[in-house]
Amino acid sequence: MSIILKNLCKNYQGLPVVNRINLEIQDGELFVLLGGSGSGKSTILRMIAGLTDPDGGRIELRGRDVTHLAPQLRDTGFVFQNYSIFRHMTVAENIEFGLRVRNVAPEQRRKRSEELMDLVELAGLGERYPSQLSGGQLQRVALARALAYEPAVLLLDEPFGALDVKIRGQLRRSLKEIQRRLGVTSILVTHDQEEGFELGDRIGVLERGNLLEVGTPDQLYHRPSSQFVATFVGGGNVLVGELCPEGVKLGSRVVPCPPNTAMPGHLGGARVRLLARAENVEVREEASLLEGHSLGSGQVAEATFTGSGQRLRLNLPELDGVRCISPAPAYGQEHPQLEAWVASRPEGRPFQVGQQVAVGLLHYHLLERTGLRSLILVDFVQESRVALDFGLRVSEATGAPATLLSIAGVNEREADVTARLAELHGSLLERAPNLKMCVRRGGLSEEVLREVREGRHELVVIGEDEGPSVTRLGPWAQRLLAKSEVPVLLVQQDRPKISRIMICSAAGEPGKGDVWLGGRVAKRAGASVSVCHAVSETAEPDHKARVRNHLAGAINSLHAMGVEARPRLLDMGSDGSVAQTLLQEMEEGNYDLIVMGMPSKTALATRLVRASSRPFLFVPMT
Amino acid sequence: MGLLAVFLYAVWPWLPGQRGTSRTVIVYGFSILGEVMNSRIFPAFQAEWQKQTGEHIEMVSAFAGSGTVTHQIKMGVPAQLAILATGLDAKTLIDERLATLEGLPEHGVVNRTPFVILTRPGNPRGIRDFADLAEQEVAIVHPDPLTSGGAQWAVLAEYASALYTGGSPEQAGQRLEKIWRHVVSQASSAQSARTQFNSGLGDALVTYEQDLLRDARAGRLEGEIVYPVSTILSEHTVVVIPRNVSLQDRPLVDAFAQFLWSARAQELFAEAGFRSVDERYNLSFRAIEKPFTIDDLGGWPRARTEIIEAIWQNKVLAVLGK
Amino acid sequence: MKDYRIPVGLLLSSLLPLLLMPLMAIFLFAGKGGPTHFLQALGSPDAQFALRFSLLIAFATSLINAVLGTFAAYVLSKYRFPGREALLVVVNLPVAIPTVVVGTSLILLWGPIGLLGKYLDPMGIRPMFAPAGVLLAHLFVTFPYMLGAVKPVLDEQEGGYEEAAYTMGASPWQTFRFVLLPTLRGGLLSGTLLTFAHSLGEFGATVMVSGNLRLRTQTAPLFIFAQFEAGNIEVANAVASVLAVISFLLFFGLLRFAGKER
Repeated sequence: MSIILKNLCKNYQGLPVVNRINLEIQDGELFVLLGGSGSGKSTILRMIAGLTDPDGGRIELRGRDVTHLAPQLRDTGFVFQNYSIFRHMTVAENIEFGLRVRNVAPEQRRKRSEELMDLVELAGLGERYPSQLSGGQLQRVALARALAYEPAVLLLDEPFGALDVKIRGQLRRSLKEIQRRLGVTSILVTHDQEEGFELGDRIGVLERGNLLEVGTPDQLYHRPSSQFVATFVGGGNVLVGELCPEGVKLGSRVVPCPPNTAMPGHLGGARVRLLARAENVEVREEASLLEGHSLGSGQVAEATFTGSGQRLRLNLPELDGVRCISPAPAYGQEHPQLEAWVASRPEGRPFQVGQQVAVGLLHYHLLERTGLRSLILVDFVQESRVALDFGLRVSEATGAPATLLSIAGVNEREADVTARLAELHGSLLERAPNLKMCVRRGGLSEEVLREVREGRHELVVIGEDEGPSVTRLGPWAQRLLAKSEVPVLLVQQDRPKISRIMICSAAGEPGKGDVWLGGRVAKRAGASVSVCHAVSETAEPDHKARVRNHLAGAINSLHAMGVEARPRLLDMGSDGSVAQTLLQEMEEGNYDLIVMGMPSKTALATRLVRASSRPFLFVPMT
Repeated sequence: MGLLAVFLYAVWPWLPGQRGTSRTVIVYGFSILGEVMNSRIFPAFQAEWQKQTGEHIEMVSAFAGSGTVTHQIKMGVPAQLAILATGLDAKTLIDERLATLEGLPEHGVVNRTPFVILTRPGNPRGIRDFADLAEQEVAIVHPDPLTSGGAQWAVLAEYASALYTGGSPEQAGQRLEKIWRHVVSQASSAQSARTQFNSGLGDALVTYEQDLLRDARAGRLEGEIVYPVSTILSEHTVVVIPRNVSLQDRPLVDAFAQFLWSARAQELFAEAGFRSVDERYNLSFRAIEKPFTIDDLGGWPRARTEIIEAIWQNKVLAVLGK
Repeated sequence: MKDYRIPVGLLLSSLLPLLLMPLMAIFLFAGKGGPTHFLQALGSPDAQFALRFSLLIAFATSLINAVLGTFAAYVLSKYRFPGREALLVVVNLPVAIPTVVVGTSLILLWGPIGLLGKYLDPMGIRPMFAPAGVLLAHLFVTFPYMLGAVKPVLDEQEGGYEEAAYTMGASPWQTFRFVLLPTLRGGLLSGTLLTFAHSLGEFGATVMVSGNLRLRTQTAPLFIFAQFEAGNIEVANAVASVLAVISFLLFFGLLRFAGKER
């Protein structure tokens, strides 16, 4: 293994720009890191070369741990986007530089530089100065210079970024050939997916510091797991369908599940995202000619001739009601649209705008299902399993991966904590195959928040046993509530099933976040929802009207999500408090989950939590 | 190569074996003394000392305006002996216990020079006395008394000459005012006033006789020296700065100080245009009818407050300022 | 080749009263007394000393400030640290401060009655009114020149130069020696020249801190001024003309040398 990255991290101003990258690159492989600007791709490269210090993790080059080694000692060849060719040296002197600082004898240097100049097709230009060379030639010099001392790995940072398209193509082919011939393990960083596809043996797609997917160009193009990769790489159509026994329901049509798709059978009615590349959308004059799965008839909305083929936009009335993620629907668009690409037919007539056509899918792919990626805090001190059980149930229901987190306190040995968590993790794997685990050391709330950010978790589950009620929601949990940017689920007592959800609408401004999240959980769990709001008997009529209005809006949104919901305007009575009123409703309604906005002052939350042992889901106000 | 040559030329005297380790006497003086000291007095003393003791000594010197020298001594330059243009500068140093006149003849006054008028060649305006500067429409170039020691002497000469020719204090004051009405340029020092005059500005310049005699003897004086009926003789004062004199150098410095009043030194001063404190050497100088000195005006502190400040600054300048 | 007669003619005629005529005047007045006089004036021990001393101080100043100025430029250009901007302004201040003030401040600091000097004086360390004081003043006054010549070159340098060298295995010293220094040559050269020339002509600060001691601390400009004061304009101009010739030759020689290198 030539290059191994383990949990590589880099933060900038407290935010992760490179987030726990794990990667193994084979000997002789040309690996492409593909990502937009700010995705952290160059930072990773610079960390491998030793030009930037990582904040965490480990870098191995050819079996050697180089994480804290000076760049000079790493034996890497680096090609910079801006060439960084030394202007005061000739081409030959530039190429020989790495050998010169290694005290290689002049004759040998000369011999090696001539070999390399032959290799990069610059033979005879050794005595020229960089100012006499073109950009493409300069980049060839940079490549030769980086290869001269036979480095363990070759790192290329957007090497063709500053060149025009034609030269870029030539250089790509040269690079690929030279890399093959020398068999040097290489990483190339680019934002250009075409370049990535052309050069990469494998490609890693980065987004905001996270390595989303790694695969061959073919895998990433045809069978991506995530929506980001599906749309970032190649483009095409991403439609939201619904799982049914026969396959995937798209509006009035059903297409079968593609082979090799592992979709749990019990998820009938669950939504799935279907990716169909433009060239895999079949367009025929008549339905009888279709070879793929029919999507019914459509109408050509746009047609663009591209030489080798025709790019079409198709209106598909039979897919009405299907959400189209890509191409993004235009404002005022009547029916869902698909993008199609058909090869030019020299004999046949090209498709015309307005023409009625039959549309089918030749190939398609289902993306991985998403759900709330939850982080479950496992607290061995209190031997509590309620959070674990409840959290796992939530993650099972949504199909999203869950992570177990244990935090080693000051008096604990991290190894002990890790061992205990690993044991627990192992015992749960059968039930939840995607379950991950991690251990941190430090203050509880700080480490949980850090893990949420770095691990991109979307929900924190914390549990508290039925200990003495006065200590529930202690200082660290309050800190967590006050600072968390993601919802926090507080479980005190397990509920076997979530069938009734109470959403406590915030006083004053409507908390859209709680309604939306509550609805999402209810939809997944098939629960009914009550949206509650406590008003004082003496409240102004205006105020009451506003509250009613707000509740009605919430119910509409929930109905639109397909969730059964009803409003509850709670009368606080003449001397009752908000907390009392809410508690009373909780008991009367026997709710399985209470959803409420993250309290800016935790006093109300503390009071409710200490008086009721039902699960609480706190949603941050945005 | 060229660079190396220049470098070698520059460091030559500092290379080992190029310098002796002679004892030194460090002398600071006011500017017009520089030439006579460097070219006449120092070699004479070096020769005499060598004759007496067999020891070769070095004379190190610096010459600048008298006020500058006084200030430099206050700031701590390593001067062992200083010659100042006015007794006032000497007094400042003595009052601050930086300098002493102890053991010096003539209260430290080593030579004198009268203040005279320089006119254009042939004296076209017919100037004969300070009175003419007041009464005729002439353009006068004058150094600035605020910065120049020589200018202060000049103001005293212009004012007091009226008293010594029978005028009352009021008349003297009027004369000073009239003369200053005719001043067209106030240069910062006696030397720069001279330069301005030489470059063609004005009809008359009030300056040291010595300065003009020196040029006259070198045959390059353009203009005519006019001796007023009555004028002041500026007195140049030697002080010793004990702080910078080590115990073992004391006899050497004292010997040099005494040498300044020797017949040989006074003769040399006279040759350079300074009037000696011993009239025997002043035979070649033109006599002044009614000369006076600062002591005649009651000493420097009094002359400064009563004439320069009370009359020139507060009355004359105030009137002219209107 | 483009016709240069008109622009060059315009330039020369505008420079004539500003630059060329005053320069000519120096030589004119220096030679007024005839060649014997001229050589006599130059041959005097005072004049010889002043010239050598000035050159020596100029060499020392250039050497020290070349190293110090380059180092300062490097740090200020390559590192970002709190107070960098303020430091940048401060190191350029010597240009704006009247040199006389510089001299006075140095005396008030290092002189026998100065802030620090009064503690050094009893130990026999007296930097002021001695060659060391002259050197200190010149280092201060000329400091910005080196910095000003080198820093822009460093600033403009592609940031990748050092990183590229590092990845190829060059140590920081090798990087500086083989990569940075050659690119700085022009800046170093012009900075050193400016420093040297300025040091050779420095007057205001020198007159304060040197004590103006003949044959001890009197630099050529001080000697010239003293001769002017004494009315010996020929002697003054003789030495001044030598300074001008030395500067001219140095500049010309080094420019030719630099031209060949390119």
